[in-house]
Amino acid sequence: MADIAQTSFSQANPMAAALRASRLQILAIPVVMAIFALIMGNFANSFYLTAATSGVAISLSITGLAILYGQLGLVSLCQFALVGVGGWITLRLGHGFDLPYELNLLIAGIGASIVGIIFGLPALRLRGLYLALVTLMLAGIFQVIITAWNFPDGGDGFIGRAAGAGRQILEKPSLAPTPIAYFYYVVIIVTLGYMLAQWHRNAKPGRAWALIRKGQTTALASGVNILLYKLWAFALAGFLAGVAGGLLAGVAGQLDSRSFGASESLNLFALAVVGGVFNWYGALIAGLALRFLPAALQDFGAYLSVGIFGAALFQALAMEPTGVAGRLSLILGWFRKKLMPQKSTPQNAMSEGGARD
Amino acid sequence: MIETEGLTVRFGSVRPIDGLTARIDAPVAGLIGPNGAGKTTLLNVISGFVRPESGSVTIDGKSFVGLSPVERVRGGLRRSFQTEQVVEDLTVVQNVQAIADHLALGSSARSSVAQALQYTGLESVRDELGGSLNLFQRRLVEIAKCLVGEPKLVLLDEPGAGLSNEEGEQLQRIILGIPEQFRAQVLVIDHDVDLIRAMCEQTLVLDYGKMLALGPTAQVLESDSVRQAYLGEL
Repeated sequence: MADIAQTSFSQANPMAAALRASRLQILAIPVVMAIFALIMGNFANSFYLTAATSGVAISLSITGLAILYGQLGLVSLCQFALVGVGGWITLRLGHGFDLPYELNLLIAGIGASIVGIIFGLPALRLRGLYLALVTLMLAGIFQVIITAWNFPDGGDGFIGRAAGAGRQILEKPSLAPTPIAYFYYVVIIVTLGYMLAQWHRNAKPGRAWALIRKGQTTALASGVNILLYKLWAFALAGFLAGVAGGLLAGVAGQLDSRSFGASESLNLFALAVVGGVFNWYGALIAGLALRFLPAALQDFGAYLSVGIFGAALFQALAMEPTGVAGRLSLILGWFRKKLMPQKSTPQNAMSEGGARD
Repeated sequence: MIETEGLTVRFGSVRPIDGLTARIDAPVAGLIGPNGAGKTTLLNVISGFVRPESGSVTIDGKSFVGLSPVERVRGGLRRSFQTEQVVEDLTVVQNVQAIADHLALGSSARSSVAQALQYTGLESVRDELGGSLNLFQRRLVEIAKCLVGEPKLVLLDEPGAGLSNEEGEQLQRIILGIPEQFRAQVLVIDHDVDLIRAMCEQTLVLDYGKMLALGPTAQVLESDSVRQAYLGEL
């Protein structure tokens, strides 16, 4: 009987169930990522290893989107522009100065975080559709600027310009000079980024964001400084996007301005929802899908994967609000219960009473 | 102690509170009145969500004029809402912790949260998600949130709505113990006159934004004007 009550609750509240384990998730992140990295590192060919490296890098920016959408309910459609900001800063710093790659990444993160705060200013007044439109326009403005500027060319010095064959390639970090080493390097940094985001979810900012999502009045009545915590979320999302951009720049040593159009930000948001914004691995699933699917389907034309993403988004919005990751978490929870049946404690008994009521 | 002096709120041509001068000093006081009498508006003015057109509000002799809702929370004001506001995807302890986070409690935050949970009897469900609680438990979480970090005044907006008799009695005991346990004054809005009669020493009755009566609860509820306006009896 107790089991039935518990199961029906999990099914009725997939979102709650997805978040139940958030405290344990922070410790699970490095373990899962290590297993993933070892499998990919040992079995993927160079084509898929490159796809995996950029997929993992991009997934860090999706983690930022998941914070904004999953924690605060804010739709931001300019996240890929922030990836571009981070990528551009990393490239220019890499060509202009002789700093360690890690420091370049940090500066790229901070730079994108500042732009992220500026992009987030409309969110202090706008929500829902209007915020989505304004952020999409910002992504459009970024697209116009980088196209006009022929971003991000690889000339000498911090503002050096070079076109075509004169472009220099950014060197990979000295710690990870080969593609396979760089893949592990990206996985480690992204893992740290995931953990940073997960810590935020479990700690004071996460609780404040949850109150703001519940309602501004509720948040104010609990003493939350709404302005500060909203901007904090945008700063964090920007930081993660900036680092993602810096990591992406290292994959091929250069970036193409055409990959930073406004439609990429739309794609990124759609995939974030499909992957799942309530579990940390939703971002990983989304990032890999974003790079693997087009790679696997390249013989069938460029738009097939976009069509599949669209269909997946529709399915997620209609039937699976917690995304692939949320469904996976339910399945894992089911296995856990089968393998490790819990004894009924007074605590469980009381909550089950509540679920039945 | 809550004191208002010539308090007036205007929404366009409507005055939900009209020149209210009152002094509420009972440890647990009631606020009643027919629908639209201005009860929730008064709570909103005290907690800083609605700016009055004129007049003043002082709590324990301290003026609250010009303070933001957040500053009032830090000053010891707590409130619950008509519709409970428990966050579904936070656990009970996280829901209560969420207010302690912003009260600069330092090292005492944890014990303050624990005390609030213990007092309201929520210890045993502290790690359950808000979404899995029943209505009574949710109401208790709201009250526990009000008790964190040395509250001075706790405003409860219909805490008993939708509860069974047994739950209502348990809620009464919890509310009645707040002044002694937490040294805070409690002001309760409720439509349940029996609940108000059982808990509140003093009651303020509002009607169309004006004070209809203020005094010892039994006396107020017996007065003809209150029976006529509120209870529909003569």
